[in-house]
Amino acid sequence: MLILLGIVAALLPPFIAWGEHLYLRHGEVSGKRKILYFLLYFVLIHAAVFGVAYYRGVRGLTWQLVTMDYELKHLGAGLVCAVLLPFLGCLVLEPGVTLGGFRKYGRRTLTDIRKYSQYVIRSAKAHLRSEVANSYLDWLWWVLEPLAMMLIYTFIFGFVFGSTEPYFPVFVFIGLTMYTFFSRNVSYGVTAILVNKAIVTKVYLPKYMLLVSHMVLNAFKMMICFGIAFVMMLFFRVPLTLHILCFIPIIFEFFLLTFAVGLIFMHFGVYVSDLSYIVGIALNMLMYLSGIFYSMTRFPEPFNVILGKLNPVAFLINSMRDAVLYGIMPDWLTYAGWLCASLVLTCIGLYTIYHNENAYVKVI
Amino acid sequence: MGEENRSGHAIDIENVSIHYKILNNTSVRGSFWEKKQRNIVQEAVKNLSFYVNKGEVLGIVGRNGSGKSTLLRSVAGIFSPNQGVIDLHGHTVSLMALGIGFMDKLSGRENIVLSGMLLGFSDAEIQEKMQEIIAFSELENFIDRPVYTYSSGMHSKLAFAITAMLETDIMLVDEVLSVGDSRFQKKSFDKMRGLITDVNTTVIIVSHSMETLRGLCDRVLWIHDGEMREIGETEPVLQHYMEFMNK
Repeated sequence: MLILLGIVAALLPPFIAWGEHLYLRHGEVSGKRKILYFLLYFVLIHAAVFGVAYYRGVRGLTWQLVTMDYELKHLGAGLVCAVLLPFLGCLVLEPGVTLGGFRKYGRRTLTDIRKYSQYVIRSAKAHLRSEVANSYLDWLWWVLEPLAMMLIYTFIFGFVFGSTEPYFPVFVFIGLTMYTFFSRNVSYGVTAILVNKAIVTKVYLPKYMLLVSHMVLNAFKMMICFGIAFVMMLFFRVPLTLHILCFIPIIFEFFLLTFAVGLIFMHFGVYVSDLSYIVGIALNMLMYLSGIFYSMTRFPEPFNVILGKLNPVAFLINSMRDAVLYGIMPDWLTYAGWLCASLVLTCIGLYTIYHNENAYVKVI
Repeated sequence: MGEENRSGHAIDIENVSIHYKILNNTSVRGSFWEKKQRNIVQEAVKNLSFYVNKGEVLGIVGRNGSGKSTLLRSVAGIFSPNQGVIDLHGHTVSLMALGIGFMDKLSGRENIVLSGMLLGFSDAEIQEKMQEIIAFSELENFIDRPVYTYSSGMHSKLAFAITAMLETDIMLVDEVLSVGDSRFQKKSFDKMRGLITDVNTTVIIVSHSMETLRGLCDRVLWIHDGEMREIGETEPVLQHYMEFMNK
């Protein structure tokens, strides 16, 4: 088990970094260089991780002393490096992804956001209106639907399986609300360009605006749900603390993370036609790994901490519950780490979308 | 072409080439194990240069697949050319093409607003023109129903009405003058004629209908396989084109 984990910890991070690099370069890396880059990332990542270990007082490598805990930490640190390093690697090594390019697209992003913000909001509003236009209960559905889901899950997991978390209905409701937001936006991202083919091929707009508009729509629904959650908290007499203010930074990072993941899948979704199946499965798995119906502490010892930190959705959902329900501060260090990772991913995503926007229109 | 001559131009197109890259790396597996992949490049427009004067009407003819629509889309800014420059001198532009981009679930009215915004108009400007658009499109009370309930004729009429009423400096017309019933066709033809006599509106029309081109255009451009064959006065170019096609 330990040896297996060791091998995984050694190979998985460079593999991810390598994949990310190839993805960034989009089929323009030759065979020999692929091997070179893999070795390069292998060396770089492990140098970084062992460097950190050395700094923290782990000196001299003896296999007998290696524990599960150590291996998992090693794997975790390696994964974080793996997400971040190719970004830097591509900046330094490749001409296609340049610092100048980032500056150019960065400026364009700002002007585009200003230019299209009206459109985004208008389109989100129109879609919200159209969703309820033909139903009897109108906007009541935005309240009823999440409430019904919450009742189902509370019944199944609260009574049938007997969960013991305090304020369980609110606990489920917050998790469900946040997960729904993430999953809806990511799965929309996959098909966003294809679904809006009619618009994309007739007029120019920055493609990610389609995703932003959908996120605004879902954010509106999510805010209604948080409103309900607040009422439920009053109903269940959850003690209100100042920790509730953590809501703002947590939700901000959650938006950024969703946007970043959505963007990257949006790009892939144009070319890989079966991606929506893969994403569907992955999102379903994510639902169970994010502890929506149960606390992460239900997982056996090292995994709960690892999952709670390495799965950003789980981390943010748990931080939100801790802060709002139980008055516990989020782990700001992990928060900062994921904030950086989300920012980096957002930059990669925006860059790729801008860089390939000509191609999308020609492919679909 | 000297700088001083350009003042009267609405569009300058210089050495424009547009490629379609047919991407190979559609499978995730492939991008890891295969060697550097050669993408197949298809040239749709090759090294094209011309200009359009302000207020002029330029017709474009050519066989199917000769790059006419690609060129128009590129002028409309939907994708930028791979090489060369398209200079619109800061004019606003809109493309009128079959099946304009509507969001199916939204009502016609919402779609008017959203399309208008994408064309660069403000909310106030659109509201101002709203009644005109609805009247021109002949949709009456269908305007507040979702677009998916429209017939294809109504769809095109609305599309035409939006682009015709929200006048941009440059209008690109791709084969849309034959939409709707004969009454609407006549109305849209008259509307086009009205726009064309307007000295501020520059129009590029792609059409296979010789009568349309004869009736509307000042000059005609003939594209063959992405290359310019001929440009000049309407009559001679159309004659050469017809001779070539009937060969």
